[in-house]
Amino acid sequence: MILEIAWKNVWRNKTRSLIVITAVTIGVFAGVFTIAAMNSSVVQRIDAAVNEEMSHIQVNNKDFRSSSDIRNVIDDYPALKSTLESLPGVVNTTGRIIIKGIASTASKSTGVEITGINIEKEKEIFTLYEKLIPGTGSYFSSETKFNTAFIGEKLAKELNIIRYTLTGDALSKLESDGVPAEVVAKLGSVRDQKFPTDKKFSNSVATLLTPAELKNFNLKIKEAAWSYREGSKVILTFLDMENNQTGAAFRVSGIFRTNNDMFESLAVFVPENELRQLTGMEEGTYHRAIARLENDELTDNVTPMIRGSLPGYEVLSWKEIQPDLAMLADMMQAIYGIFMAIILAALAFGIVNTMLMAVLERTREIGMLAAIGMNRRKIFSMIMLESVFLSIVGGITGMAVSGAVIAATAKNGINLMKYSEGMEALGYSAHLFPTIDVQFFITTTILIVLTGILSSVYPARKALKLNPVEAIRGE
Amino acid sequence: MTDSQLAWKNLWRNRRRTLITAASVFFAVFFALVMRSFQLGTYDRIFKNIVESYTGYLQVQHADYFDEPAIDNSFEFDQPLVDKLKSDPNIISVIPRLESFALASAESFTQGVMVLGIDPEGEGEVTNIRNQLVKYRLSPEAIKVLKEDNIPQRSKKLLDVFENESYSSEGRLILDLSIAEEDTVMVLPVLRKHASFRNGYISSGEKGGVVIGDGLSEYLKIGIGDTIVLMGQGYHGSSAAGKYEVRGIVRLPAPDIDNIIVYLPVSEAQELFDARGMVTSAVLKLHSNDDKNVNQTGNRIRKKLREPLTVRTWHELNALLINQMEADNRSGMIMIGILYLVIAFGVFGTVLMMLAERKREFGMLVSIGMQKGKLAKIISLEMLLIGFLGLAAGVAASLPIVFYGNARPIKFTGEMGQMYSDYGFDPVMPTLLPDTYYLWQSLVVLIILLIAIFFSIRKIFKINVINALRA
Amino acid sequence: MAVVQINNVYKTYHDTEVEVKAINGVTLSFNKGDFAVVVGPSGSGKTTLLNLIGGLDQPTDGEILIGGHRLSELRPSELIDFRKDHVGFVFQSYNLIPVLTAAENVGFIMSLQKWPKEKRKARTEELLDSVGLADRHNSRPSQLSGGQQQRVAVARALAAHPEFILADEPTANLDSKSAESLLDIMEKLNRDEEMTFIFSTHDVRVMKRARRVITLEDGKVISDEIRS
Repeated sequence: MILEIAWKNVWRNKTRSLIVITAVTIGVFAGVFTIAAMNSSVVQRIDAAVNEEMSHIQVNNKDFRSSSDIRNVIDDYPALKSTLESLPGVVNTTGRIIIKGIASTASKSTGVEITGINIEKEKEIFTLYEKLIPGTGSYFSSETKFNTAFIGEKLAKELNIIRYTLTGDALSKLESDGVPAEVVAKLGSVRDQKFPTDKKFSNSVATLLTPAELKNFNLKIKEAAWSYREGSKVILTFLDMENNQTGAAFRVSGIFRTNNDMFESLAVFVPENELRQLTGMEEGTYHRAIARLENDELTDNVTPMIRGSLPGYEVLSWKEIQPDLAMLADMMQAIYGIFMAIILAALAFGIVNTMLMAVLERTREIGMLAAIGMNRRKIFSMIMLESVFLSIVGGITGMAVSGAVIAATAKNGINLMKYSEGMEALGYSAHLFPTIDVQFFITTTILIVLTGILSSVYPARKALKLNPVEAIRGE
Repeated sequence: MTDSQLAWKNLWRNRRRTLITAASVFFAVFFALVMRSFQLGTYDRIFKNIVESYTGYLQVQHADYFDEPAIDNSFEFDQPLVDKLKSDPNIISVIPRLESFALASAESFTQGVMVLGIDPEGEGEVTNIRNQLVKYRLSPEAIKVLKEDNIPQRSKKLLDVFENESYSSEGRLILDLSIAEEDTVMVLPVLRKHASFRNGYISSGEKGGVVIGDGLSEYLKIGIGDTIVLMGQGYHGSSAAGKYEVRGIVRLPAPDIDNIIVYLPVSEAQELFDARGMVTSAVLKLHSNDDKNVNQTGNRIRKKLREPLTVRTWHELNALLINQMEADNRSGMIMIGILYLVIAFGVFGTVLMMLAERKREFGMLVSIGMQKGKLAKIISLEMLLIGFLGLAAGVAASLPIVFYGNARPIKFTGEMGQMYSDYGFDPVMPTLLPDTYYLWQSLVVLIILLIAIFFSIRKIFKINVINALRA
Repeated sequence: MAVVQINNVYKTYHDTEVEVKAINGVTLSFNKGDFAVVVGPSGSGKTTLLNLIGGLDQPTDGEILIGGHRLSELRPSELIDFRKDHVGFVFQSYNLIPVLTAAENVGFIMSLQKWPKEKRKARTEELLDSVGLADRHNSRPSQLSGGQQQRVAVARALAAHPEFILADEPTANLDSKSAESLLDIMEKLNRDEEMTFIFSTHDVRVMKRARRVITLEDGKVISDEIRS
């Protein structure tokens, strides 16, 4: 009964209630959507880290991390592998050879980490092969005479393998892509000119176009000019098992692009056999075993189990290798809670004000209710429920709207790349796909109900203090 | 009675509503100011830390070096240049650097390294290098002796975990070995006795000496007194090769640099790379580092320099960092924006309610002869007053926190604090003193009020007296 | 047993420094079936007396018993429940809950007393019928005339079988026709169900119908007339 009365009371002054509800809707929507956007960055980063870079678990030879000596191999890989795969939660494993070395071309050289992989197994565990830039070759092709390597875009740029040049084809592609004819015409003056770095290219283009044209089309132009000479060669030098320097020329079979600049500039992937031939490492030996788990959540439970089963090795989970990532994911809930609480606190002022008005307008009515026998608890509940209804209606609408917008942007995402090369350097994508999990909505609902309840306290106390005698006679 | 006095009196007729509305404005303003203050203070500090620990505020470089940092884009660094620079009133000293890439090898290990030719004495004015020299090392022998000496049991157990770790500061050592504050006085002398590391340094006069990073020394398996060979590509394609003795070891907090850094005197680096008299950058140490002076100094120097030299400011040198800070900054602004939006709704709602409630009163006033314009003016004044009340209260409440947070900033302790110290940063989170951001908040509040006033005025002018009286 | 027993009751207010003796020694009893009216000029203590009778207030001295229960033994929170179960109110205005229909208003007390739905529905129909508003059971107060609203109030007051109905100026806002109509119903209830009615009024129309007239002046009963 009280429920019904409270609900109907909310709608007595439609305008007033709608204003409050709209405010709550906007506040909740803004809060949820903003966090969804931030969350997406973190989720994508973790996804990338697990699926492209580290996977869930790394098992290393005990001394390997501190000394990177090529001889610090895993003694008995087959036994290790079967132990790992016998543990619950582990769905796949593979072995990797890891060697520090130098990559050089005619003009540049830089330090890299060369990873020897089992080409097919890696595809089951890592999605890096999907990050291949179309037109740069392939992940690894089966028939090759040469040693082949799969490298990152940043490294390719550093070694000057990637050039920028506006061919006739590139120019016509730009036109069909929506770039106005006058702009393309201006670019014609650097046609077929080869620029070794994207800075030099950008500077040239900047002299040809107006700032406005630059701002609108720079990204497209850069993409069109990006060119790579297929089959470029890179020399990889490193130490073999006898500590002698060795190396070979490797043909770049393909170039990958991720959101992590550091990873791209250090990682070089090479078929394990090619490395074994050059270093003299025995068949079946590796430096590191990678274990992929069924899902991320199992990490905390499975890692100690693995560690316990493999006492002679160093076992690390992705959370331990990149603790800041793990922390960030946990912090998201906390950040969200605080953010939402602040928004709701701001809204509470409006709700309190509204409820106060609603109570003070009804002094005679409330007095009457107390007179005919509605006790204090019921009156308090009635006021509190009115307040809670206001916030819940606004809250549900707000969550519904944010759910809809999140679903709508989920497909194409929000592209902030123009504004955030800084984020990409840290490995965070600037192309956001807002995402949120159920936990957030639950937290929101709880906070909203709390807000409604707390906002009602002051008005409800005012209502209770009303003396029915005075209230009725208040002429 | 003036209009303002009347407006003020009207506010207090419905004291509750006035106070609650003003309180909502207060809440938003207070919160926004405090949060911005901490946020901006932190950015400011991060910039200062990074700039002052590496790039400096201004650097002289070859114009092409910025886009292509290669040794071929070095420039001539001679006394006339130094004099020309030092003649500027804001410049205290000029610190040269020659940076390039080489291969380092010792025995059978090879590693790509970053070779940094520095002024061993002058470099300390820009970076922390002296403080980064290794002071303690927990070698296996040291650990054996320490285990038998008088240190807490807990620390003894941790000794094994940190075997072979090098330390440039006592703070980090104390933290790693979990030594409580009370025990420090007792334990430090023991550590000093057994775990001290005999270290050295390089000086400009000396030849053949280098200082390397601890990570590098571990990888190449060399220590003080051992030989290291550097090879690579020098100026204009010449080949570079040299043999050096390790004179000192530093422990840099960033492992990626610690694993590859080699310091040597500029003159030695110049000889190695066949780049006599050349440097890749000259850091300018300034008297006054605030934005205005830095930019002005930069402009002055740029005019004095001949091609191909130019001056780069810390903005350009730290463009990536700035971009990251900006992203973070923007998200902060969005949060505050949402807060204000929500408050604005509250204010509008209150205004609407107030207008509805006083419809009769307005009708009466207009019917007895008050011009609508005058009525509108009084109502506008009322709203401005409420807004200012909240604004002033918010500002006033924020000031003590902002000032206190600036004079005695929140200190980071434990791991986080030590991390800051490792980098040579002050482990604090300071606030930014009142600045333009205070004005921005006031502006936002003003805009909200103006919108509310606009709508109220419209409503007042639409009043139909007869209907109003019947309300 | 008297329905309401007032024994030597005093009610004193302390209005800033002045002491006001609103009720200055009143002893009265009301019996079942009374159709009584309390009259007196403003300041006579009429309002105060009615508040005391209705259990809306407690006397400073003396004792009030309703249906044999001593009000002094009840705490303020218990008084509310007591009123719910024992006293029916009809006020001058603002009797009904605006968001509920006539039927829901009548059923309000019953639902507070947790009557099962069927019983509630049955009694509501019965009551609305007895005040002649069976066809308006789904109307909201704003859709009813003043007189109709007061009739619903009477139905509501009767719902929980109170000891008596306290009517404070029930006809003050009504035109003659509605007022007469309302009083007809009240009289009928008084006759048929022996429901005790205690009025406070200035209205001559009400006074004419009363069978007992109690006059108050300066907090004391100066006359207690029984008419036939």
